[in-house]
This record gives sequence, C-alpha cells and structure tokens, in this order.
Amino acid sequence: MAVLRGEQGAVQFDAAGSSNATIVGTRSWSLSTTKETLDVSKHGDTFRSFVGSMISGSGTVELVYDPDATGQAGFLEDVLTTADTADATFELFTTGTTSGTDSVSFAGIITDMEITSTVGEIDIVTCNFITSGTITGNLE
Amino acid sequence: MAAADLNSIRATIEGRLATELANSPAIPVVFHNMAYEPTPNSSWVQCLTTFGANEYLGQGLTTDSQNRIVGLVVMNIFSAKGVGPGANLVIGKRIRDLYNRVIVSGVYFDAPSGPEALASPSPEGYFQTQVRVTFEFIEEL
Repeated sequence: MAVLRGEQGAVQFDAAGSSNATIVGTRSWSLSTTKETLDVSKHGDTFRSFVGSMISGSGTVELVYDPDATGQAGFLEDVLTTADTADATFELFTTGTTSGTDSVSFAGIITDMEITSTVGEIDIVTCNFITSGTITGNLE
Repeated sequence: MAAADLNSIRATIEGRLATELANSPAIPVVFHNMAYEPTPNSSWVQCLTTFGANEYLGQGLTTDSQNRIVGLVVMNIFSAKGVGPGANLVIGKRIRDLYNRVIVSGVYFDAPSGPEALASPSPEGYFQTQVRVTFEFIEEL
C-alpha cells in the first residue's frame, strides 16, 4: 500500500481529442463525480429503494501560469471554443502519466477560466470543466 | 529543463553588487566565507546570500515540474562612527536601487527592506545599517 501526494499527479489534455499531452505547470486538479438516483419504492414498501441513474462529473484544474509551458495555452483557451462539441479529452492522473493507469479519463468542456495576477504572487489560472459522455476510471 | 544551479544564482546576486560597488566611489564588499580586515573609519559592505524554504509549484515529480526557491540577501553597510548616517544611507540607496523589484537571470527580487540602523554594530567601531532583500527563483525540472 502506498499513499499518494499531489506532486505525483498530472493532467493530460487535447483540445482535438486525438492525442493527450501533459500540461506543464499544473498545480492541482479535482474531479467530482455524481450519480443521480431514481426512487423505485413501491406501494406497501416501508423503506425507500433506489437505482442508480445518470452519471456526470465536474472539476477544476489549477495552473501556475506560464505562456510558454507545454500545453497551457491550448488548455486555458479552450474555453473560447464556440459551438463546443465536447471533443476535448482529459486524463487526470493521481500518479505518473501512463495512459489508462492511475487516472480518470473523459471527454469534456471547459466551462470557465479565471486568471489572477496579484503583486508579489505567481499568476494562477483556474479552469473548471464538466464531463461529457463516459467517465473511465482507472484508479484501482 | 534542469535543476537550479544555486551557485549561479548566488553569482548573479553577488556579481550585481560587486559590479555596482566597484564604480566610483568604490566601496569594498565582502561575501560569505571571505576574510576581511576593514580599515578604521572607512565604509564597506558585507553581503550574505542564503537560500531558505522551498516549495512545490507544479505537479510532476522530477520532470515537467516546478519548485519555488526562496532566498534572502542581507547586506550590512558599515561607515564611520560618530559622523551621522548620511554616508551610510548614500551607499544604502545604491544597494537598494540595485535590487528593487528587479528580475535578473530568472531571479525575482522583492522590494528591499531597510537600510535599517542597528543598535549594536558587529564588528564594533562602525555605524551599521542593514538592507534585506528576499528573492525567488522558479526551478523548472
């Protein structure tokens, strides 16, 4: 058993969805996955019963802004994609960068991007995204 | 990318000061681990560069990752005792202007603190002020 620390993680992304590449300068990422439930309780039941339904996800990627860092510009400007068909692909790694290992992958849309510049501090970019379609987990 | 060369960072910081104080009026400057016997009633500067706490900036272990290296430059300015602070502050301004919000060779200097007069000069026999400048360097692996 081995616990993981954040510095082992990584984010890979491709706006065209063909070949994910590591975004250099990623400070953190988070993913929240939600499964809706349907109430299937019947007349006469005394306890409620549910079945799982639609699954969706959303999250955040935080970058230490560097306009020259590999992958950053394409990532943070994807929010400007009009008529976004959710063709961008993401893979969020808890450790390493081996596709399909210790990661969660999905197609998605960057829904907002915020860049902050403060005196005495490093410029930070925060991008929020939602998943679209299948979320593939490889966290076991 | 490569790990930060700490000696190169030190040389950047100290070289900047040595070049400035070699200009007229020249002021002797001494750095860490250097012997110096000051002339009585003269002005001179001691520059001490130290590296402090570092922190993670980006994910990625030893590749495609960044660390923030933080350090401190302390410059002790010594001048003749008993003749007021003017000469000392003139040197202090030269030093302060050298580093004030400057970015050189990837070293980010913050706004300097001081010159601050010290009640107990070390060595004794001088009027001593101190200028302190924190700096950062982003290490890209």
